[in-house]
Amino acid sequence: MACIVACLDENDLLDDGLTFRHVTRLEKGRYPEANISFFSISCLHCGDAPCVMVCPSGAIYKRDEDGIVDINQDLCVGCHSCALACPFGAPQFPEGGKMAKCHFCVNRVKHNMEPACVRVCPTNALGFGPMKDLATQKAEKASISILESISVHSGSVKE
Amino acid sequence: MKPSKLLIIGNGGAAVHAIEAARSVGHPGEIHLVSNTVGPAFNPMLSPYYLAGQIPYDRCFPFGKNFYEDHEVKCHSGSPVVALDPINKEVRLEKGKKLTYDRCLIATGASPVLPEIQGLKDSPHVMTLRTAEDTIRLHHLLSSVKTAVVLGASLVGIKMAEILIKRDIRVTLLDIADQVLPDAAHPECGSILEEYIADKNVDLRLSQTLEGAEDDEKSVRLHFRGEQPLTTDLCLVSIGVRSDMDFINNSDIETDKGILIDDKMRTSADDIYAAGDVSQGINLLSGKKEIIGLWGNACYQGRTAGFNMAGREVTYPGTMPQHISSFFGLTFARLGDIHPHGEQVRVISNRDLSEGSYCLLAYDRGRLVGVNMLNSYKNAGRLKTAIIRKADWSKYLSSFQNTLTDQEIGMILATLLPQ
Repeated sequence: MACIVACLDENDLLDDGLTFRHVTRLEKGRYPEANISFFSISCLHCGDAPCVMVCPSGAIYKRDEDGIVDINQDLCVGCHSCALACPFGAPQFPEGGKMAKCHFCVNRVKHNMEPACVRVCPTNALGFGPMKDLATQKAEKASISILESISVHSGSVKE
Repeated sequence: MKPSKLLIIGNGGAAVHAIEAARSVGHPGEIHLVSNTVGPAFNPMLSPYYLAGQIPYDRCFPFGKNFYEDHEVKCHSGSPVVALDPINKEVRLEKGKKLTYDRCLIATGASPVLPEIQGLKDSPHVMTLRTAEDTIRLHHLLSSVKTAVVLGASLVGIKMAEILIKRDIRVTLLDIADQVLPDAAHPECGSILEEYIADKNVDLRLSQTLEGAEDDEKSVRLHFRGEQPLTTDLCLVSIGVRSDMDFINNSDIETDKGILIDDKMRTSADDIYAAGDVSQGINLLSGKKEIIGLWGNACYQGRTAGFNMAGREVTYPGTMPQHISSFFGLTFARLGDIHPHGEQVRVISNRDLSEGSYCLLAYDRGRLVGVNMLNSYKNAGRLKTAIIRKADWSKYLSSFQNTLTDQEIGMILATLLPQ
């Protein structure tokens, strides 16, 4: 869960349950074939983002230059429509009632740094970059890491 | 071949998204927009925020006034369509002008309903809240009225009660039903809300049947069956809306409560589309065509219509009833069918707000069909996905206690909904 901690730190979020990134433990199969894997997820910056469509005030928008889905909090009225529209549970409502969510560490990325969660991920499961690069390089590496971690778990169950 | 001429009737979220979609795929033809209003598209969802002093008035028009010029739209404002002739592909405006089209979108929306009760319609002290004009009128009234009656404990009604109370106006909130939010809240959730709202100085009265209204000079006297009459400076009616489609002939276009549309937003008439609150498309939950009057739904429908009218085939499968709204510091959410019937219906909830949030899950044959939530939103979108996918919760239902935490529900959802 290093990614969550890095995200909390980067965004000055209090550790009160409100996070931009969530890690879910997935249990699959039954003994002796059981395995556990972890899934780290935040805003997916959807291609056709439902939160952008349903936002009544035009506060949520998709950036032309890089596809990041960002929010202009000055325009947000706190209606929570995005929370209902997002299938991933990304929108959060901290004190003040305006929506906040993963913004892809837009300031770090602008200065050629990785997003905070990507930087700290010890297994390189998290990556970032253009889709086609991810598909060929980083995703491959990440998949191997995930597969290795899964096989370690199922191996230990078998013993 | 000459590019087709598009005509958009109405000027709300559906209309704007239709225009945006058509231009985004390079539609070269003329786009005409006809509206009974003047000025840019207004979002009625935002008027409560303006009335509560949270946003300036111009922010109730989220697309701005340059949208039409930017998208090369010819606007015919302030004159509603009074007749639509699908054979000759022509509309007639109130002021007499006629316009032809190759493809037409009906996106006229809906208007608030006033009950057919003597004296109500003509009273200057009775109003509804929907349009920009209504919003301005109410804004001015807020500084002069001392007492108000809100007729209809709907989401709009409760929100209005909150705004009025904050302006130190004495509020009586009434409904003909025996609970608040009769459509959107399960009775158990309704009773929690009633207690909460009554605690905020709202005089809440349920099971009230209005029988008549009489004007005084400065107030209106409302008569209820078996009750003392109520005299009030202002009566706000919020009992629902009705599709604006008086200008179409039912023999030309198939209608029910709204205009019936398919998954490309096509009506039964050639080259006529409909989108937004005037239309009646698929409810994913029931499989039937129903009016689902939501801003987001209107925008999706409008966009779909715009693409198809510009020749790009796109479908929109539909949506399901859903609401989220905040009032009196509480966030209320409703998803799907909150009143399921049948022998295999099971309702699970944590019964009260004592833990800070409330969640009610309604199941039919092990499938989640409806949700009510108070002060809990984190699982809302994923619960909606679970309803749409008809995920089977059976193996979790047997172990459920009546203590559902967001975290527990989140963990089950993670297993039910492989990403």
